[in-house]
Amino acid sequence: MSEDARGWRIALVPDPLINVGASPSAALPDVLGALEANGYGLLQLPPSGEHRLLLAVIADQVAEYAHHGYAVVAIGVREVGGDGLHWRRLAPLLRHRGVALPPRHILRPDRDAAVERQRLTAFLTGYDLPAAEQRRWRL
Amino acid sequence: MEQNAPRKVALIANCLLNQNAKVCQGANYRGVVSPVVEALRRRGYLLQQLPCPELAFAGVRRWWAVYEQYDTPAYREHCRRLAQAIAPQIEQYLRRGDEVILIGLDGSPSTGVRFTSSNPDWGGRPNRPEDDWEIVPRRGIWIEELEAELVRRGLPQLPATGWALDMGRFDEAGARRDLEEFLDSRERAAGSQGKDPGAP
Repeated sequence: MSEDARGWRIALVPDPLINVGASPSAALPDVLGALEANGYGLLQLPPSGEHRLLLAVIADQVAEYAHHGYAVVAIGVREVGGDGLHWRRLAPLLRHRGVALPPRHILRPDRDAAVERQRLTAFLTGYDLPAAEQRRWRL
Repeated sequence: MEQNAPRKVALIANCLLNQNAKVCQGANYRGVVSPVVEALRRRGYLLQQLPCPELAFAGVRRWWAVYEQYDTPAYREHCRRLAQAIAPQIEQYLRRGDEVILIGLDGSPSTGVRFTSSNPDWGGRPNRPEDDWEIVPRRGIWIEELEAELVRRGLPQLPATGWALDMGRFDEAGARRDLEEFLDSRERAAGSQGKDPGAP
């Protein structure tokens, strides 16, 4: 078994940003590529619709990460209902588990893709837990 | 692609998109396992991430464990709950005629497809010597329960393989070769039947 390589950062990502064929616009940046380049793992959010049980399972996982030194963010996309993040249902589930809501970055398919890519990269690069929290958990 | 045309969908183990889910010292990548994602996307697969059963049950700071330790009624019940959470989406894919495959994590006590890790002696204080578990040809607990849920719904068994990350010594080139052979065999099988691989 090798030394552990985990990046300690995780993004909640809507299905249409992972499965690009289903996305509302071809102008979106390659989110998976950006996450990989910045060392993020991801938790895939389901497409629009009723996903009570699955969202509760996802909230359990986010809570576990958030309580143990992992940085969690959410990346949404304008033009998909609720930005694809199921925030109306997910936010109360997270609050109920004592989790501060992750910072959100919303992609805009109506804007220039190169600019959106830069904005996304800046968001991903710039976010992490405070240094003291990192030291506490990340040996 | 036509809106209703059959698609190719890969159900993939949670940690193949998120190595933070791995047990301590088990992460070989920072986040996304890019060789798996590249191989699937290059062949036109949509990705459907499965929940991680171990993380939600035993936490992110859990000890290493083998199949026998997770083989408990409580863990199986937990896995059934997760299976019930994701099965409606899988059922939707299959009912609309999509080709659905499963990529697990070989060697994992939970997500192993071809192989899982075994040692009936593990338990108690976690001071086992290194590498004293065996790799045995068997599904992990989570995959067993997921497949059982699909059977309960009257759905067919899915073609499946595992990315060999938890086999003791990780060989990325070998794992990649294995995965690509599996995916190419799917393409050939579809081709010999004279249809699109995404067709039902």
